[in-house]
Amino acid sequence: MTGQEKYNLRMGLLFISPWLCGFILTALYPLVSSLGLSFTDYSVLSKPVFVGTDNYRDLATDELFWQSLWNTFYFAAISIPLNLGLALALAIMLNLNLPGKKYFRTIYFLPSLVPMVCLAVLWQWMLNGRLGLINAMLRPITDVLSAVLEVSISPPNWLVDPAYAKLGLVLAGMWGVGNAVVIFMAGLQDVPRALYDAADLDGCNFWQKTRHVTLPIISPVIYFNGIMGLIGSFQVFAVPYVMTDGGEGPARSLLFAATYIFNKTFRSLSMGYACAISLILFLIILALTLVATKLTKRHIHYEGK
Amino acid sequence: MLGAVLSALVGCGSEKADRRIKLDYWEVWSGFERDAMQTLVDEFNASQDRIYVNFLSVSQMERKLLLATAGGNPPDIAGMRSTDIALFAENGALTPLDSYAAQYGIEGENYLPAIWDLLNLHGRLWALPTTPGNSALHWNKRLFREAGLDPERPPRTIAELEAFNDQITRFNAKGEIEVLGHLPQEPGWWQDMWVYWFGGALWNGEDAITADDPRNRDALEWMATYPERFGQDKLTAFRDLSGNFASPQNPFFRGRIAMVLQGTWMYNFIQNFAPEDFEWGVAPFPSVKLEDYGVNIVETNLLVIPKGAQHPTEAFEFIAWMQQPKNLEKLNLLQRKFSPLVEVSTGFYQKHPNPHIRIYRDLAAAPKAISRPPLTTFVEYQADMINAYDAVIRQNATPEEALDAVQKRQERLFERMYNRWQKVKDTRQEEWAKVDAEVAQ
Amino acid sequence: MTSQTAQRVQKLCLYLLLVVGAIAFLAPFAWMVSTSLKPLEETMTMPPRWIPKEILWSNYPEAVAEMRYFWRYTANTLFLCFMTVTGTVLSSAIAAYGFSRIEWVGRDKVFLLVLATMMIPFPVVMVPMYTLFKLIGWTGTFKPLWVPSFLAAAFNVFLLRQFFLTLPKDISEAARIDGCSEWQIFWRVILPLAKPALIVVALFQFMATWNDFIGPLIYLSEQQDMTLALGLQAYESKGGGTNWNYLMAASTLIVLPVVGLFFISQRYFIEGIATTGGKG
Repeated sequence: MTGQEKYNLRMGLLFISPWLCGFILTALYPLVSSLGLSFTDYSVLSKPVFVGTDNYRDLATDELFWQSLWNTFYFAAISIPLNLGLALALAIMLNLNLPGKKYFRTIYFLPSLVPMVCLAVLWQWMLNGRLGLINAMLRPITDVLSAVLEVSISPPNWLVDPAYAKLGLVLAGMWGVGNAVVIFMAGLQDVPRALYDAADLDGCNFWQKTRHVTLPIISPVIYFNGIMGLIGSFQVFAVPYVMTDGGEGPARSLLFAATYIFNKTFRSLSMGYACAISLILFLIILALTLVATKLTKRHIHYEGK
Repeated sequence: MLGAVLSALVGCGSEKADRRIKLDYWEVWSGFERDAMQTLVDEFNASQDRIYVNFLSVSQMERKLLLATAGGNPPDIAGMRSTDIALFAENGALTPLDSYAAQYGIEGENYLPAIWDLLNLHGRLWALPTTPGNSALHWNKRLFREAGLDPERPPRTIAELEAFNDQITRFNAKGEIEVLGHLPQEPGWWQDMWVYWFGGALWNGEDAITADDPRNRDALEWMATYPERFGQDKLTAFRDLSGNFASPQNPFFRGRIAMVLQGTWMYNFIQNFAPEDFEWGVAPFPSVKLEDYGVNIVETNLLVIPKGAQHPTEAFEFIAWMQQPKNLEKLNLLQRKFSPLVEVSTGFYQKHPNPHIRIYRDLAAAPKAISRPPLTTFVEYQADMINAYDAVIRQNATPEEALDAVQKRQERLFERMYNRWQKVKDTRQEEWAKVDAEVAQ
Repeated sequence: MTSQTAQRVQKLCLYLLLVVGAIAFLAPFAWMVSTSLKPLEETMTMPPRWIPKEILWSNYPEAVAEMRYFWRYTANTLFLCFMTVTGTVLSSAIAAYGFSRIEWVGRDKVFLLVLATMMIPFPVVMVPMYTLFKLIGWTGTFKPLWVPSFLAAAFNVFLLRQFFLTLPKDISEAARIDGCSEWQIFWRVILPLAKPALIVVALFQFMATWNDFIGPLIYLSEQQDMTLALGLQAYESKGGGTNWNYLMAASTLIVLPVVGLFFISQRYFIEGIATTGGKG
């Protein structure tokens, strides 16, 4: 190593030291300590007691843990495609350079500024089975349907019905899609004009252009947003927590992985157990990200690579 | 706004000159219940010049207290619910009060036995009560009369309850439920404890979970009859029209449901939300067998000294002051509850605004008064039981399936907790004995 | 039909779609404000009425009074916003500089680690972090909520690094020849040029702190120490019934500053978010 290289290394490390400290304290240490605590019985109030692999053994047969995972995946499986689809559709429409584009963009973006807690209380009110706006909108439709089909159909009682509670949450989440719209719009700007022109020459219509030009080019952006959505769904906590007043929703339909960790930590005082859940969760996310990367590598078009 | 700023400034000024020991006291109450306690706290502060109690109303108390205690900066005094004692005491978050109580001559025989039981665990005293409450049947006399029933004669067995239910329930021309006699989910409190009116139990009081007891199954089977009898859709429609519990839309106040399982505090809600001419009665909730008539669940708000509190001696001085009969009675008069003490001063019931207060108190004093199991796993047990009821009512599981699932899960949790306790109990008891001995000196 | 009219019809449909969508996206806001101005009984009427019979502005001061510590919470939240914004901007800029403007062995490999840490959801590290702060006696104080922001969070480092990379190398070289130290180059040359990116980071951090729920929920214990987001939740769960009109009034008060901030800094917001989209 030359003197310059050594100097640069020293300077580089010096500059990144805030991040390095942060990395050690907020990522490395927690993961290692989680691993350690996951082999103990720990209540925060008293010292941890070593219990071997008990926590993991219990986890394997803990239906609530599996239910919380199932809820998390179910939510992710519905909300991620819907959000991506809506965001992409809006971005493509807004990108057609219609007059007033800026105003539309602002309108679609605004809801994503709303703090989670406000979003939660607002949608709790919107989704109220009897007095909520959503059902006020749906009721005329279901009334007509009931009359035509001669069966009684009524709008769902969103947050009270286990079959609909998660969908209600998805709906509330879709309101905050604006962030992704802006990201997709930026991605669309990067699609070379020339490709569209070439497609036009080949007589492609709008759908064909979208399918064969736009989507392949912005696939890295879709991938990125998909992964972020996946990680995001493992963080889902504040909205269901507020909507259910710290509960688990009807028939535990809103018990998510993060909720379960929180409850085990701060309600049942089983911190060791909570750590075991955290670690399993971490491994799942790691595995999913790796699989997603492997699978999509073949289909993703990276510019200039 | 200006006023608030001014008073804050003035407050700062006087605090500086204040040599009194300042105690932080966190309480769960809000509204008039908070104001009632504030009155007592003010009286205590005025009664002497060494201690100043700073009374704070804290939302989501259990979690906050836990966080603060774990962090080593708890309040000096905390108002908790009796259901949380086990979790906090067994995890070493509370100060044992035996020696303190002995110093002030506070003795168990002065308290209603059901309430004294709630304060003790593992041979030690953890808390002293403030305002007790218990469960009872509340019925609407007008609806009884309209159905041709004797308005002064409540049902005493579940069978009678159901007979009355059929007689009272009416449908309108569209076939919707207009008035309902009784519905377990309305308002659906104590769902975890319903089994006790069926002779069942959640644990054997010692070392085993009994969620799958056949009598517990009876309770769930009974619940499952409701959707069958009235129709799930009709019940849903009925409940959709019920407003919040604390509102004039509460179906009991509006005369849409005749009999509900409710508690000592019901008077306050009736005063606030029911129509002027609302006529109601209070009696024990019916049991399956007549000889069990009188079962009621007693709980109480209470005061504890969290472990690590800075001024435990002064904190107990306040708690002991609260335990003086005249103070307990005053607080319970203001909160419209009954005194947890055996002796009640003459005139207490005459002064009491709630005409039925005596009934609640006598129920709590009777031997059939029960309480929730003092298990550290109870938070989860309760959630599981409620979930089991829910599954049965939604017809997603048979009572047997639902309870077997609860049994399996709770057995495992209980076993874990039990084993852990066996391991740490000697150390804990030593710690407690040490604290206690230090206080005694 | 000529292709031109066809195109026009297409455009019209598109517009219609966008307008309907826009109305749907704005409706919840309108509903929130409308509910916040109604008397409680009117919130329970069906079908709902968009414009209240009588506009009750008094709901706002009453909602504030109901929350008891509204102004205290506002002050707490602003304090946390100030500290975290300062901390994040400073530390992330420093770290990003080290990841972009200095060539050192293994830099890009370490940077992968930065990206990897973005993948750890908070619940995974929640318990150990809580235990750590408990150990050093910080629980119950504001410190766990702002001190870590001085330790460059991965996301912001990533954002600023992308920006720093776009600045030509020559400017650093020129400064080096002038005898500037690395710190001077960072402080005097690069930072001033990076102002727009720093504003983006500051805005994001402000939003994150303003909105944070789980952090204050875990670390704060005293009633008067809460933040606005937490206060709103606690306020909802008080007592039995929910006063939707007050709750919506309080929500409006909490949303308003963020929306205001957005309108005065729209450009930065949009550009900032656009660069987060996994480009590069």
